[in-house]
Amino acid sequence: MTLPPLTAVIALLVVVIAAPIVAGVVSRTKAIMAGRRGAPLWQLYADLWKLMRRGLVYSTTTTWMFRLAPVMLVATTIVAASLLPLDGRGSLLRFAGDAVAFAYLLALGRFVLVLAALDTGSSFEGMGASREVTFASFVEPGLFIAVAALAVMAHDLSLSAMLGAAPRPTDATTVSVMVAASVFMLALAECSRVPVDDPATHLELTMVHEVMVLDHSGPDLAMILYANALKLALFAGIIVNVVLPQPRAGGWLGIAVLLGSVVAVGIAVGIVESVMARLRLPKVPLYIAASSALALFGLVLLLR
Amino acid sequence: MTSLSELALLLVVLSNFVVLGTSRLSACIRAIALQGLLLGALPFLLHPVMSVHTVSLGIGTAVVKAGILPWFLRWAIREAAVRREVEPRIGYMASMILGAVALAIAFGVASALPLELVETDLLVPVALVTVMIGLIVLTTRAKAITQVVGYLMLENGIYLFGLTQSQRVPFLVEIAVLLDVFVGVFIMGIVVFHINREFDSISSERLTELRD
Amino acid sequence: MTLFAIGLGAIVAGGVSAALTRRARGTTSDLLYQLLVVSGCAIAAADAARVLVSRTALSLSGRSTVPGGDWIVGIDALSAVFLLAVLGVGAICALFGTQDLARARAAHPERAHRSTWPAQLAFALLVTAIALVVTAGSVVVFLGAWEVMAISSYVLIVTHHEEEEVRRAGLIYLVATHTATLALFVMFAAWQSGATDWSFAALAAASPSLGTGATAAIILLALVGFGFKAGVVPLHFWLPPAHAAAPSHVSALMSGIVIKTGIYGVLRVLLLLGDVPSWCGWLILGLGVASGVLGVLWALAQHDTKRLLAFHSVENIGIILMGIGVGVIGLARDAPGLATLGFAAALLHTVNHAVFKSLLFLGAGAVYRATGTRNMEELGGLARRMPWTWLGFLVGAAAIVGLPPLNGFVSEWLVYQGLFLAGEPVATPRLALLGIPMLALIGALALACFAKVAGVVFLGTPRTLHAASAMEGRLGSHAPMLLLAAACVVLGVVPTLGIALVEDAAQQMAGANAAPISAAVISGARTISMMTVSLVVVGGVFWWIRSLLVRERSVRREATWGCGYAEATPRMQYTASSFASPLLSVFGALSGVHVERTSTSLHTHPKDLVLDGVARPLWDRLRHAALRLRGIQQGRLHLYLLYVMAALLVLLAYLALFPRAR
Repeated sequence: MTLPPLTAVIALLVVVIAAPIVAGVVSRTKAIMAGRRGAPLWQLYADLWKLMRRGLVYSTTTTWMFRLAPVMLVATTIVAASLLPLDGRGSLLRFAGDAVAFAYLLALGRFVLVLAALDTGSSFEGMGASREVTFASFVEPGLFIAVAALAVMAHDLSLSAMLGAAPRPTDATTVSVMVAASVFMLALAECSRVPVDDPATHLELTMVHEVMVLDHSGPDLAMILYANALKLALFAGIIVNVVLPQPRAGGWLGIAVLLGSVVAVGIAVGIVESVMARLRLPKVPLYIAASSALALFGLVLLLR
Repeated sequence: MTSLSELALLLVVLSNFVVLGTSRLSACIRAIALQGLLLGALPFLLHPVMSVHTVSLGIGTAVVKAGILPWFLRWAIREAAVRREVEPRIGYMASMILGAVALAIAFGVASALPLELVETDLLVPVALVTVMIGLIVLTTRAKAITQVVGYLMLENGIYLFGLTQSQRVPFLVEIAVLLDVFVGVFIMGIVVFHINREFDSISSERLTELRD
Repeated sequence: MTLFAIGLGAIVAGGVSAALTRRARGTTSDLLYQLLVVSGCAIAAADAARVLVSRTALSLSGRSTVPGGDWIVGIDALSAVFLLAVLGVGAICALFGTQDLARARAAHPERAHRSTWPAQLAFALLVTAIALVVTAGSVVVFLGAWEVMAISSYVLIVTHHEEEEVRRAGLIYLVATHTATLALFVMFAAWQSGATDWSFAALAAASPSLGTGATAAIILLALVGFGFKAGVVPLHFWLPPAHAAAPSHVSALMSGIVIKTGIYGVLRVLLLLGDVPSWCGWLILGLGVASGVLGVLWALAQHDTKRLLAFHSVENIGIILMGIGVGVIGLARDAPGLATLGFAAALLHTVNHAVFKSLLFLGAGAVYRATGTRNMEELGGLARRMPWTWLGFLVGAAAIVGLPPLNGFVSEWLVYQGLFLAGEPVATPRLALLGIPMLALIGALALACFAKVAGVVFLGTPRTLHAASAMEGRLGSHAPMLLLAAACVVLGVVPTLGIALVEDAAQQMAGANAAPISAAVISGARTISMMTVSLVVVGGVFWWIRSLLVRERSVRREATWGCGYAEATPRMQYTASSFASPLLSVFGALSGVHVERTSTSLHTHPKDLVLDGVARPLWDRLRHAALRLRGIQQGRLHLYLLYVMAALLVLLAYLALFPRAR
């Protein structure tokens, strides 16, 4: 067991600290597209700070599950981040098949959050939980198709090889782009963005992710908002690493690339949210299937 | 040029999936028009040497498949006033999965086929998958317009097959283009059928009943 | 082997003592029974542990005058792994079951003597029979133990035979298990025709001389026979009704262990065959994917907790088969590392599933005991009233979904790697890669399903009075669950432990030139421990920060926010039907759900596609055909003598026409 490089530690810290910017970039892009000036980039920091100083309200029906869930959500997301080669070279924790661990850690976070939603006994939150697990059930296989494609290119089932260290076949550019597009579309679903879910909606009946956390308040809500931003930032890092030719410059430059990718994907998400409407709920599985089909096509191209 | 032609072939496959997954007829027509355009460009991409043969083939295909037929189809949906496919016999999700299976089969089978003289190894599987998805659309969709689109896809697949042999059998592709005439007849048929359904007859004699 | 024999003797003695002391006071009888069964399990397990530690197989044989040759019992690495699971889970289920039966006895004093001892005797016999199945070294012992296992499970399933539904479930089980046995009889007979005697060693020696056709027939018959027992789709249809009908500790043992004898059988046959064709691997992999996806999908549609858990057994058998399929592909491709990995994944998942599934069944049993209902729609809010059961069930649920840091994750992680390696470029059909998204689909659907069970049964507010008046049992009743939960945590946090447990058996399966489990996997397992530690540390830090923040703030307790609606009632909570409905609707007819929807209500009725769609109509046809044969039963003695005569003549004619040198 060799010690991880310093840059890997710093990259993890950078993404943990800078993650809320991604939410700012998205809303700023949307504002500009709509011809407004919009909120500052660090708006989410301000929101988090405000929430942390607020008091809490707990429903009388809830148990310890409800209090544990936000903490678990943040913890699983951060540990999942430590499996990603954020600096472009290697991750803090790296092993064969860590891609599985990454996905299942995020699933653990989702599991506790869904249970917390059901803990309130509210039908709205139950509805949100039901939708969340439904969509996740289709996103997960899609992401694993993309993982399989990346693993085939890297001849290795670890994230550090797939997204950093291992060279790709020379003729794999098209496939890389297809897989990246697919992961981007799936990440929109995974992180509850338009066209699957609208974070800005204000009608409980139409919400998916937001309705699950209706009863959370104060520091608990802050942790959930933060974890969501971090998750989007992580997917941003993944997507850009899929597109970039590998192996690419790592280390300090890798950290710069990471920050750039967070901004770029944030802008892309903002553009998508500005130009697209949210899909009707029954259409969402089809959208996810289409995204997965794209990755599957990439995989088939690799295997021929 | 190979990579450009491969890109075009991949886009052909993606347009197949767009037709498979969308319920809006105008989106279907746009996809099929894009497919026609790509098919028109393919002879140039595959055979960089310009000859009268390739030029006429490419331009002819593009004009018919990306210009005339989509325009004709749009006219038909305007005339027949249909916007959306009704819920198809098997769901969009299921047809998407069927499409994915077809894709896997096409790529699995293509390498085993005894074909020679193929410019790019993508051409045959893409032709196969286009034919198969065309068949899926043709058999599972209820609206006649989508069925025409399915037929067009089927025919595009055959055209792609033809491209693999265009060096040896020069006129195969041209004959395939001629099949487009059938499509025109199809579309006319739909519009006429629609009039038929509205008025219970297409016989002009019955039109006399319309006077007051 | 002496310890093994003594242990089994003690278990049987425990059962017999329950029968003998049935007139004594319940507690004395129960104590004696528990003591004998648990100590018997511990003593017998000592031999299995010795085999794993010393890496030498043990065996015991006795001459027999019964046709079918010597009786041989032996423990090798493969048997030892299964034996440990059998004895461990068996002892825990015996403890839990005694509590359950004692409580039932207290509730119905008038039929006390009737309801308890047959169940205890049958349970002891069942544990013994399974232990013999997984250690049998000759066909006669194997099939004998197999039948005792089948019959004693039947007796246990129909424990509550007052109910019509239970009797029907028992009948379906009986038909299925005997069809399976029939297939096994044919398989062993076909195999033995080329061997010198009926011992497994002789069968193994005869395997190389089997033709491809005979090998294929043996494999297919084994898959049918053992597939019935394991509950592989489409042979699973007996499993959900039987598990729902049986008492909870019996369901736990059946789901955790009995169905694994099917897996053991498949593995043993593969081991004895030695050289297995590659199509067999693809077939098993395909069956695994089908069982996994369909099992979890059908589980989602259930509202009866125990039926739901039973369908999850079908799903997990699927995952195990995926591992075995990878192993066989590795064998056929002469890739020893891959074979070891696949079989290790399958074996580890077998052990893990035995642990968490029996935990979940015991949890469901505790809920049933406390509320009197298994219908989820009538439960809710039990987390407050039954905190220990909730904790155990939650651990089991997270483990079966495959979430880190619990044991289910480790074995699924191994299966993923096996699937990836099986799709490496050396293989021409790289189809195994498609198993990766399928396994991901299974995992995600399982998550949805267990979010539903845990959420609807334990969280929210009670939906009925039964749920509102539920009480946690005494410590004795949830201690078995907590033990199993602890095992889930330990095997998950220290993955190397589980891998070491199954490594020898996996190498044995991988054949002569087996490779050990690769260093990458071992170091990965160690890193998973580190990952768990960091998860706990990061979680701890955030919990600490949170408690600092919360301490200085006001914390109010209010009713759940009703979105402006003040009069919220428990009936307004999301139901299990509604929770699963969007997912099931995507799968359409495949989900096998009949939906009744009006403007104000939604009811979903799950039906079994195979049982109601195929098996029942087939059965009706068979019965009609059988009725036609009624004419030969005239009830007159001389007619029957004529039949005997005719049969004799036919046999003599057969011998005369086909003289064989036997």
